Amino acid sequence: MSIELWVEKYRPQSLDDMVDQEEIVNRLKEFVRDKNLPHLLFVGPPGTGKTTAALCLAHDLYGEVWRDNILELNASDERGIDIIRSRIKEYARTVPLSEIPFKLIILDEADNMTGDAQQALRRTMELYSRTARFILIANYGSKIIEPIQSRCAIFRFQPLPKEHIIERLRYIAEKENVRVTEDGLEAIYEESEGDLRKAINTLQSASAIGEVVNADTVYKALGKVTPGEVREMIEAAVKGDLLSARDKLRSLMYSYGLSGVDVVKLIHREVISGRSFTDIDNYTRATLLDLVGEANYRIVEGADDEIQLNALLAKIALVFSKRS
Amino acid sequence: MSTRIIPWVEKYRPKRIDEVIGNPEAKKAFVAWLNKWMRGTPSKKALLMYGPPGIGKTSLVYAAAAQYDLELIEANASDVRTSQAIRRRIFRAVTETSLFGKRGKIILLDEVDGISPKEDRGGLQTILELIRISRFPVVLTANDPWDPKLRPLRDQCQLVEFRKIGKRDIIKVLQNICKNEKIECSYQVLSAIADNVRGDLRAAINDLQIISTGKLSISLEDLDILGYRAKQLNMFEVVRQVLTARRPETARMVLSMPSLDYEMLMLWLNENIIYQYWPSIIAIADAYDMLSRADVYLGRIKRKQYWSLLPYVLELMTVGVSSARERPPFKFVKYKFPEKLRMLSRSRNKRERMNSIIRSISKNLHMSSRKILTEVIPYLKIIGDENPSMLRKILKSMNISERSFREIFLTNA
Repeated sequence: MSIELWVEKYRPQSLDDMVDQEEIVNRLKEFVRDKNLPHLLFVGPPGTGKTTAALCLAHDLYGEVWRDNILELNASDERGIDIIRSRIKEYARTVPLSEIPFKLIILDEADNMTGDAQQALRRTMELYSRTARFILIANYGSKIIEPIQSRCAIFRFQPLPKEHIIERLRYIAEKENVRVTEDGLEAIYEESEGDLRKAINTLQSASAIGEVVNADTVYKALGKVTPGEVREMIEAAVKGDLLSARDKLRSLMYSYGLSGVDVVKLIHREVISGRSFTDIDNYTRATLLDLVGEANYRIVEGADDEIQLNALLAKIALVFSKRS
Repeated sequence: MSTRIIPWVEKYRPKRIDEVIGNPEAKKAFVAWLNKWMRGTPSKKALLMYGPPGIGKTSLVYAAAAQYDLELIEANASDVRTSQAIRRRIFRAVTETSLFGKRGKIILLDEVDGISPKEDRGGLQTILELIRISRFPVVLTANDPWDPKLRPLRDQCQLVEFRKIGKRDIIKVLQNICKNEKIECSYQVLSAIADNVRGDLRAAINDLQIISTGKLSISLEDLDILGYRAKQLNMFEVVRQVLTARRPETARMVLSMPSLDYEMLMLWLNENIIYQYWPSIIAIADAYDMLSRADVYLGRIKRKQYWSLLPYVLELMTVGVSSARERPPFKFVKYKFPEKLRMLSRSRNKRERMNSIIRSISKNLHMSSRKILTEVIPYLKIIGDENPSMLRKILKSMNISERSFREIFLTNA
């Protein structure tokens, strides 16, 4: 049974099904023809087909038994390099189950690894290069250390062009018997920023809201994607009501389970989009951005996310108490 | 007074199930499970009692063994996995009938969460095997059952939660003991003991025994010998001293306390800055900024073991916090316990279930748990609100129970 979430249901299975990133896909097809490939590093913004390309490559390379020949790891889930190393070690030790003499190890979100962890990974890559090939996937290539970059063929994935995203959305809508309007598609594209995953998720949730996916249902869906607490928290802070701002923050963190970085990113989005901070001048907006950025930095460096976010909320309150 | 040598926790251990104090629902669940055993083998052969220490988990098993006329085989969880000989003894015990003319046996493995995954490799496997071959009820206890390493065990066990004992119940037990031991003791004293142990009945009985040793009547002053009691009281005072200090030296003085738990103090300050400095937004923002800087140094210490940074943490959270500008004049504030700790322990169960759903989704979608939470769950929530049948279809295709999903993500706590 196929997964009924459209992002997964309509994920291309083979390189032949991939319409975007044409040059990259062509090179990958050559690897499949040669039955050989170097270590690969896929870099690019979210929702541009990096993971899909890796899975398609595995599929085309190994055929039906592809699942038995790949190890999928996610650097942000597998805490610590030791776990990654031992899993890779265990996996790479056994003999491949196909005519291809190596197995594939896909390491997603590799840019979330610390420098030390990447150093250790580099040694692991060398150690098992005879029996395993690595595909590292990252949003930012610069966060991958040089020695790893130099061992990999680097492929840079580009944000998908507007026509392609709209075409894909239309294709899915047709298959799912969903009516979409032009302004609906426009609205989805505007918010997706070239991220096809986000676009498809928006399409599916908008289709749950109304019979027709139009600008109206799309904005309704988008309005609900950000938890209401985020805006309420900001509004409370702006009014100087720090106790209720803190309550909202805690509900986001301990009930929704968001991390400090997740919350700070949501606040950032509100500052930039101007949905929460209407009626402020550009200088104030820039001041807020600086505060949010500083909080983000301190969360990454610090120990207790809640303390950092409470400090940010208090500073936001201060900015607005001076204005009035 | 030789009777006093027997620990009162033993002397007053309940002999019957209905004498066990508190946790009526847990008791009911346990008895129901045991009754199933009396009629055959229940679907879950083992039962995992979990909850904080000193609230009657082991006592309940003892009382049940006596009342049901069962031979109690007690093994510390570490016995099971240490020497082969001990292992064999216990494995034999769980498969052979009782030698003492009892009606059966009950196996008790205490503190299974103490197993270390590194040193006791195979320890969990042994316990799982023991459950598999046992012909008798197996009871396990743990303080923290949500430890990921215990997952395989959780699947095999019926889980029963035990909670802290209420203050009133604790006082009642202490009153009874006092009556029995002919000790004069005011309600105030017993209430102070009960406050201090925070729901741990065993600790309360032990404390009572310690302070009444060699005495026929006890007063509030006698409580002073319970050294740790001071710690809890002090946290309020420490917070007050920092937040209301007039001069940096005063705030700094708390650092000379030998047992200052500075991470705990940070949480207390995080909780109480707003109450103390309200309504001065400047003071609140300044104080939080200093606390946040202290936390940054703490993060560096934790990540890189830069212990030489510790003085900055300590000074910023005391001298730094108290130096906030435009502090309002002194007022007496009743400080609050850090809500963060309360919320984390309350939502623990929920978070564990949430993570397990997210992991299942993650396996299906080739995305990390983090991304599932921030980039998939919000859309699923919308779909769930607007179009339940679509959500049902999606969840079914990923083999996820719709009911748990709704409970975790679609009801507002």
